[in-house]
Amino acid sequence: MDALVAGAEAFIQVFRTAADVFVGFTTGIIPIVVVFLTAVNALVKFIGEERVEGFAKWASQEGIMYMPVRYTLLPFVAVFMLTNPVCYTFGTFLPEKHKPAFYDSAVSFVHPITGIFPHANGGELFVWLGIAAGVEIVAPDMVTALAVRYLLAGMVVILIRGIVTDIIYNIMTSRKAGVE
Amino acid sequence: MQALIERIGRSVGGVVGTLFQAGRDAVDLCLKTIIPFMAFVTFVIGLILETGVGDAIANGIKGFASSLGGLMIVCIICAIPVLSPLLGPGAVIAQIVGVLIGTEIGRGNIDVSMALPALFAINPQVGCDFVPVGLALGEAEPETVTVGVPAVLTSRMITGPISVVVGYLFALGL
Repeated sequence: MDALVAGAEAFIQVFRTAADVFVGFTTGIIPIVVVFLTAVNALVKFIGEERVEGFAKWASQEGIMYMPVRYTLLPFVAVFMLTNPVCYTFGTFLPEKHKPAFYDSAVSFVHPITGIFPHANGGELFVWLGIAAGVEIVAPDMVTALAVRYLLAGMVVILIRGIVTDIIYNIMTSRKAGVE
Repeated sequence: MQALIERIGRSVGGVVGTLFQAGRDAVDLCLKTIIPFMAFVTFVIGLILETGVGDAIANGIKGFASSLGGLMIVCIICAIPVLSPLLGPGAVIAQIVGVLIGTEIGRGNIDVSMALPALFAINPQVGCDFVPVGLALGEAEPETVTVGVPAVLTSRMITGPISVVVGYLFALGL
């Protein structure tokens, strides 16, 4: 009998702990996300699609000079304003040969951005939040610093991804052309 | 005068309407995606913390997640072109592993300085399942998609480990 009770106790304890964590998340994360989402949703509507598209046209020009713009600023604006997964439609403005690199760059940014701008990818917050929750316990004052660094490191990574994918895509197309 | 009042009324109404709609979208997203995922994640955390499963996983993860070399190995495995599209969908795998590593950081088993490189190490497969759709959203030609998919997947083999190093460097002095 005692064993049964102990078993039941252990069983229910899993859900008690889970519920405690759930309450922590609900009070700690949900309010700020809702308010933030509202503000940014409104901001995006006020700025308007035309202005964003104008910027996209400028930023997606060909040439090495535009590379840092194309694979850092453009994905940032796309993911920030249009959010995942609509952000990939910005590929429309790019020359055909840069589209795979832009996709690679933009999609790699949908998690680094969530540390500071959770609205951009609300459905996949726990890549960041999962790890941040742990950091919150050990070093609460480091979470914001970590979020900023995640964002900046993400910018560097997407630039590298854009450049590398561009090179590989070029090699692959020229090889394919050689075979045909 | 009447025209002025009408204009003010209209524009205020427009602003309030936009804000209200923005709030509705926000709550919608919260209820339909964030909270359901949160429920699932908290259940996983509860299991990890209260059962022996946690310790078993912890030992497995600790070996990989507490050194740069270990994270590299995780990253390279996740970036293998055959595996990466399978691991990608919805970032579910990345989110679960994120929670696992986060929990271990919280328990003090993994150093905080590993958090940033880990964020990149568990995620070289991001969007690998979605390349054709993503390119189609950008109105790419079918030929671009044919070459673009392997190009992106191959590129991840190179840029995955680089991203871990970038994460490691950015975490210095934290």
